[in-house]
Amino acid sequence: MTILHTIGDFVRDGLGLIPLSYIRILFVAILVALLLWVLMLPNRETTPPDTKPTWANNLKTWAAITLLLQIAIYSIF
Amino acid sequence: MTNLANLDYVMLAVYLIGTMALGVYIGRRLKTGSDLFLAGRSLPWWAIGMSLVATDIGGTDIIGVGGQAYRYGMAVSNFEWIGCIPAMIIAAFVFVPFFWRTGVYTIPELMERRFNVGARTLLSFCWVVFMACNLGIMLLASAKLMSVLLGWDQSMAIWVTAIMVGVYTIFGGLAAVVYTDVIQCAVMIIGCLIVLVIGLAEVGGPAGLRASLEKLEQERVVASSAEDPGGEDTEAISEDDKYLALVLPVDTKTPFPWTGILFGLAMILSPAYWIGNQAIVQRSLGAKSDYQAKAAYVMGALLKNIIPIIVAVPGLIALIKFPELRDGDHAFPTLVAQLLPSGLRGVFLASFLAALMSSIDSYLNSSASLLTNDFYKRFARPDATDRQLLLIGRIVTTLLLMWAIYFAFLIIHMESGIYAIFQTLMAFFQGPALAMLMTGLLWKRATGTGAIVGFLGGICTAVTLYTLNQPAVYQAMGWKPLFQIEEPFLYFSIWAFLVALVLIIVVSFLTKREPDEKIRYCVFGEIKKETV
Repeated sequence: MTILHTIGDFVRDGLGLIPLSYIRILFVAILVALLLWVLMLPNRETTPPDTKPTWANNLKTWAAITLLLQIAIYSIF
Repeated sequence: MTNLANLDYVMLAVYLIGTMALGVYIGRRLKTGSDLFLAGRSLPWWAIGMSLVATDIGGTDIIGVGGQAYRYGMAVSNFEWIGCIPAMIIAAFVFVPFFWRTGVYTIPELMERRFNVGARTLLSFCWVVFMACNLGIMLLASAKLMSVLLGWDQSMAIWVTAIMVGVYTIFGGLAAVVYTDVIQCAVMIIGCLIVLVIGLAEVGGPAGLRASLEKLEQERVVASSAEDPGGEDTEAISEDDKYLALVLPVDTKTPFPWTGILFGLAMILSPAYWIGNQAIVQRSLGAKSDYQAKAAYVMGALLKNIIPIIVAVPGLIALIKFPELRDGDHAFPTLVAQLLPSGLRGVFLASFLAALMSSIDSYLNSSASLLTNDFYKRFARPDATDRQLLLIGRIVTTLLLMWAIYFAFLIIHMESGIYAIFQTLMAFFQGPALAMLMTGLLWKRATGTGAIVGFLGGICTAVTLYTLNQPAVYQAMGWKPLFQIEEPFLYFSIWAFLVALVLIIVVSFLTKREPDEKIRYCVFGEIKKETV
C-alpha cells in the first residue's frame, strides 16, 4: 500500500456510498442546467446576424431539442 | 463475410469512385494554403456538422462500440451521449465562435497568442506525434478489418486505403475532407440503420429486444448465484447486470463506472476532444461565419443522439441472436453476414469504409496543418506566401501518408493491443492539454510558464499512474493495482488534468502576469467582440 492507494481507496469508498439513484438524478440535473443556460443565452448569440430571426434559424431551438432528447434518455435508462 | 455477390462489389465501387471523384474535383479549385487547410473559410454549417460526426466515428468504432455493447450493454453509449453532447453544446456557444474570430489555423497557434511559443510548440508536438502514429494505426486497423470482411491481403488493404484517402486529401484539402465526409456520414448512417432495422425485425422489434435482454439478465444473475451461493441478495438484478443501464456503480465489472464517465469522460476527455482536438476544431475554423461554426456543432450534437442507437443496439441484437460469440468485436460483422442480403451487404461495407476513410482523411489533413503552420511557417519560413504554403502543405501531407504506411507495416506483426495503447497515450496528454487550454482561455492570470509546467507535470502524472498500474510493476513491488477497473484510462485523464490544473495555478501566481496583448485572447476578452 502506498499513499496513492490510500487516496484512491478513500475516494472510491466515499463515492461508492452515494446511492446510484442520486447519481442518475445528478446526470439529468447536469443536462437540465445546460438546457436552462442555452435557453437564457441572448438571441444575438444564437441567430444569424444578417437574416430575420425565426425559430428555425435560432440555434437555441436545436440545442434545446438535442438536450431534451438527452434528458429523456437519461431519465428512462 | 467474404461471400460477397457482384452486386455488393458494384455498390462498393460506386461509393469509392464517387468519393474520390468528388475529392479530386474540389481539389481543382485550390489556390492557397488557406484553401488547403481552412477550405478558404467557405464551408456551410450542414457539411461541417456531418463531417464532425463522420470524423468522430471511425470504422473501428462501429465494430468496437457494437462489440462493447455485446459484452457490457448500452453503457458504452455514454461515450456518444453525455460523453459528447454537453461538450459540443458548450463548445458551440462559447469556444468555437471565439476560435473562428481569432482567425487562427491551429489551436496551438492560439496558445502562442495567449501564452508563448513554447506552449504552442509543446502542444503541437504532442498532437503531431499522436496523429502521425495514429494514422498508421488506423490504416492497419482498417486493413485488418478489411482482410476479415473482404478477404483482402492486409498489405494490399493498407496500400489501397492509403492511396484512396491520400489522393483526395492531398489534392482537395479540408474542403474535400469535409464534403467527402458528408457522403461518408450519410452512407455510414444508412448502412448501420439497415442493420438495425433488419436486426430488430429478427428479434421481435424493440419490445422483443427488451424482453430478450431481461431474460438474459435473469440468467446472468442465476449463473452468478450458482457461482457464489453464499452471497447476499443474489437473486436481485443489480444495475451492473442490466444491459440497458447507462449509469453503472463505482465497482462495476465493466470499464464504465459512473465516476469515470462523469469526471473522466464528460468533464475532461470530451471537452478536450471537442474543444482542443485540431482534427475536430479545424473544420469549424473553415466555416463561412461564426454563426455557421456554431450551427455546425449544434447539428453534430443533434446527430449524436442517434449514433448509439444505430451502432450499439446492433451489438445487443447480436447478443440475442448469437450469444455464443467468443469475441464481442465479431458481433457487428456476424450480424451483417447472417442477416443482410446481397446488395445490402455492399451498402454496409461501403458505410464501414466510409467510417474508416472519414477519420483517416481528417487526421491526415490536420496533422499536415500542424506541421506546416506550427513548425514550417513558424520556424523555417515565417514570410512564406499563401501559395507556397499550398505546395508545402501538399508535400507534408504526402510525407505524412508515406510515414503512416511505413508505420502500419512496422507494427503489422505486433500484438493487437497496440490500438488500445495509443488510445491510452491520448488520454495521457488530453487532460493536461485541456487544463492548458481552459486556464488560458478562461483565466486572465494564467501565465505561459505556468501552462508549460502544468502541461508537462500532468503528462508525467498520467505516465506514472499508468506505469504503477502495470501488473509487472505492482506485482514486483508487492502492491495491489491502483485502479480496480479494466482499462482505467478515464481515471488517468482525471488525475493528469487535476495535477496540471493545480500546477498551472500555483506557477502562474509565482510568475509575472502576461501583458495585455496576450490577455485579450481570453474568451471573455476583447476578441469576443471583434473579428481578427
